[in-house]
Amino acid sequence: MIILKDVSKIYPPDVTALENINLHIKPREFVSIVGRSGTGKTTLVKLLTAEERPSNGRIIVGGWDITKINGSEIPLLRRQIGVVFQDFKLLSKKTIFENIAFALEVCGNDRTKICDIVPQVLKIVGLTGKEGRYPLQLSGGEQQRVAVARALVHRPKILVADEPTGNLDSYNTQEIIELLLKINEFGTTVVLVTHNKDVINSIGKRVITLDNGTVASDQKIGKYLL
Amino acid sequence: MLIISILRIFSFAWQSFWRNFWLSMVTITIIVLTFVSINFVIVLNVVSDAAMQIVKNKIDVSVYFRPDVTEPQVLEVQNYLASMAQVKDIAYISQTDALEKFRQLHRQDTTIIESIEEIGSNPIGATLQIKAKNIDDYPVVMDILSNSKYNDLILDKNFDDHKVYIEKIKGIADKIRQVGLIASGVLSLIALLIVFNTIRVAIYTHRQEIAIMKLVGATNWFIQSPFLLEAVFYGIIACAISVVIAFPVLNLVQPYLNSFFLTNEFSIATYFTQNFWKIFGFELIIIILLNILSSYIAIRRYLRV
Repeated sequence: MIILKDVSKIYPPDVTALENINLHIKPREFVSIVGRSGTGKTTLVKLLTAEERPSNGRIIVGGWDITKINGSEIPLLRRQIGVVFQDFKLLSKKTIFENIAFALEVCGNDRTKICDIVPQVLKIVGLTGKEGRYPLQLSGGEQQRVAVARALVHRPKILVADEPTGNLDSYNTQEIIELLLKINEFGTTVVLVTHNKDVINSIGKRVITLDNGTVASDQKIGKYLL
Repeated sequence: MLIISILRIFSFAWQSFWRNFWLSMVTITIIVLTFVSINFVIVLNVVSDAAMQIVKNKIDVSVYFRPDVTEPQVLEVQNYLASMAQVKDIAYISQTDALEKFRQLHRQDTTIIESIEEIGSNPIGATLQIKAKNIDDYPVVMDILSNSKYNDLILDKNFDDHKVYIEKIKGIADKIRQVGLIASGVLSLIALLIVFNTIRVAIYTHRQEIAIMKLVGATNWFIQSPFLLEAVFYGIIACAISVVIAFPVLNLVQPYLNSFFLTNEFSIATYFTQNFWKIFGFELIIIILLNILSSYIAIRRYLRV
């Protein structure tokens, strides 16, 4: 599903964010990428979503070599990869329904399809009945669930969650992790980027540890090592 | 899907227009001022052309014959002149008509009228009024006439160099036109910079939506198009306002033009109506193209997609 071959990312003039990364993430896998701040976790996410290009190496997502992906192909890639961030990235003046629908609207979907898909994803994330509320009327955990729902509208094969629990308390953190596990059970490959030790230790899935831009360890059923 | 996307692009552009309402108004005002300035140059052009045409039409040369020259002799000269390629029209004023004109002209002056009566016979000769095809032809016609056998029959000719007056009018009009063009150029540049800045602000205002659009896989043209369309809206609205302003102003100016030309055969509003699409259509296309160019540069610079 995701293959990284000798991938390096060097920011000018000579800041090495990632160095010789080799990874193979299989379909339907749940992988946690952990590491201290500044070890290249977010750079890795940016490489997967083609926000950044690798300096060296090759990146293949779903059989598609995106190493030298051109600008017009990036939107297609991003419809295949759902992304969730720490800061939710919701539009405060839009309702929950509108926030999720927005992702479909800007990709040219018609009203019928929107009205069909939005309730489905709201049901998956457990927010049915709250579609008329505004983001600020929801808790942090609920807002993150809206972000997850929005990431799911294109039925992506991969869901990348970059520090999704960074702004949440332990209760909401647990809820979001359970949601990601549920989505993984449905068949979506999940890449969770975090530095939350408790989260990693509770999941019991594959853990890739980054340190100074390199892969320090890759455990099938891993623990937080750093 | 394409139609839905196009409709949404329109909707997003329209929302953006209203979201930065006052900025949109300032942008439109500057574009309207640019239109007004360009229209002023057009009016000036049309009026100066009309002025020159009217002056040209009023120019003629009068050839005054001696009183003892007979009508057949005058008519012979008329035929001679009519055969010239440069001559457009010749009017014959007989001795009797010339005297009557003279009487009318001096009807308040009893001394002159009495003197005429005392002479008994008609002291005023016939006149030929000549109109040439071109203003440059008058000296040629006069030269030919002076060197002809008919020169002895002629008492006087009132030829002045009208070309100098025409050149003076043209010179003044050209100067005003140059100033108008410079003003239009400066205003166009300001309008472009304002449009650029407005689109930049619109991009900044929408930075959250843009980030989400990119995140969820909206295409580049879908993200960029509303901003280009917003710039097109500015051009269309500004053009419509300038049309609404133009005609009342032109009608307001018309009486002054009538009194200036001493005729009401020239109507500036009619000129603008007859050339409506040529003037406003051309202006609209140009401003839309310039706005698109300006906003495209802003998008390239500030909208990373």
